[in-house]
Amino acid sequence: MKKLVIEPSKSTPFINFDADQNNLLIQGESYPENTAEFYQPVFNWLNQYVNEIEDQEVMVNVELIYFNSSTSKVLMDFFDILDLSAQKNKISVNWIYDAEDEDNLEYGEDFQEDLKNLTFKFSTK
Amino acid sequence: MTESLYTFKENLAKKGVFLCFNGPISHDLMVEMGDILKLKMQLQEESISTILKVFSLLIEQTQNIIFYSAETIPEPENTSNNIHLGIISVGYLNNSYFVQGGNKVKNNDVSRIEKSLSKLQKMSKEEIKQFYRTQRKLISPETSKGAGLGFIEVARKSSKPIEYHFKKIDDQFSFFSLKTTI
Repeated sequence: MKKLVIEPSKSTPFINFDADQNNLLIQGESYPENTAEFYQPVFNWLNQYVNEIEDQEVMVNVELIYFNSSTSKVLMDFFDILDLSAQKNKISVNWIYDAEDEDNLEYGEDFQEDLKNLTFKFSTK
Repeated sequence: MTESLYTFKENLAKKGVFLCFNGPISHDLMVEMGDILKLKMQLQEESISTILKVFSLLIEQTQNIIFYSAETIPEPENTSNNIHLGIISVGYLNNSYFVQGGNKVKNNDVSRIEKSLSKLQKMSKEEIKQFYRTQRKLISPETSKGAGLGFIEVARKSSKPIEYHFKKIDDQFSFFSLKTTI
C-alpha cells in the first residue's frame, strides 16, 4: 500500500502514514479551513489500511500542539476506526504533548476513556 | 476624522483590547492574527498553557464568524464563495485575557443559539467536559463546515462562564456577541 504523506501548513498537520512500517503520524496544528475536505484522503487511506491488516502491531503517533473542535470530532472518528481494527491487531496510540500544556494531556485522556481496544501511551516532547 | 480615530483607539485601549479586527474575514487572515497573538504573548513571557488557551478561543470564535455569520458579501448568501463579516477582539484587563467575537445572526436563529449558550453557561466545568464528550460521539460528520462542538469547546476553555448578548438590529437580523475569559 502506498504511503500517505501530506506536508504541513500553519493550520493543517503533517501526515505521514506508512503501511509497510505500520506507523502512522499526525503532527503539528489542526484547524483547517474545511476540516472534512482536508481529512478526506486521510480517511480514505485509513479505511483501506484497516481492511488489509491482521495480527499486526501498529503505532499511531499523535503530536498535535493545537487542534480545534471540528478536528476533535475527526480525531474521534479516526480513533473509532482504529479501535474496531484493534480487535484483530495490536494498535497503540502514542499521545505526545508539551509538558507545560496540561489541557492537551486532558484531551488525550478523554479520547482514551472513550475507546476500548486501543492502548494509549502519554509522553512529553 | 483623524482625531476621532485616535479616540477610537484610546477607547479600545481603555477596555484592554490589544487586538481587534472588524469586517470581512478569511481563514488566512485568522491564521495570521493567531500567529501575531502567539508571538506577542511569547514575548511577554506568558506560559504556553495560557497562550494556547487564548489562541484556541481566538480560533474557535473567529471560525464561528467565518462559518456562521449572517452578514455576507454578496448578500444574501448564494454561493460557497461568500465572504463573512464580523468583529473579533482579544484583550487583557484585571489580570485576565478575554476574547470577544460578534456577528449578525438571523432573528429566526436567536432562540436556538440562546438556548444552547444558556445551557452551557449554567454547567459546571465537569458537566461541560462530559457534554463535550457525548456530543462528539453523537454529532454526524455531515454537519456543515464545523462539527457543532465550537460553543462547547469555548465554554470548556473559558475560565469563567461564557457571556453573550443578542441585540435586535431590524426585522431580519440581530447582533450576537460572545465573550470568553482566561
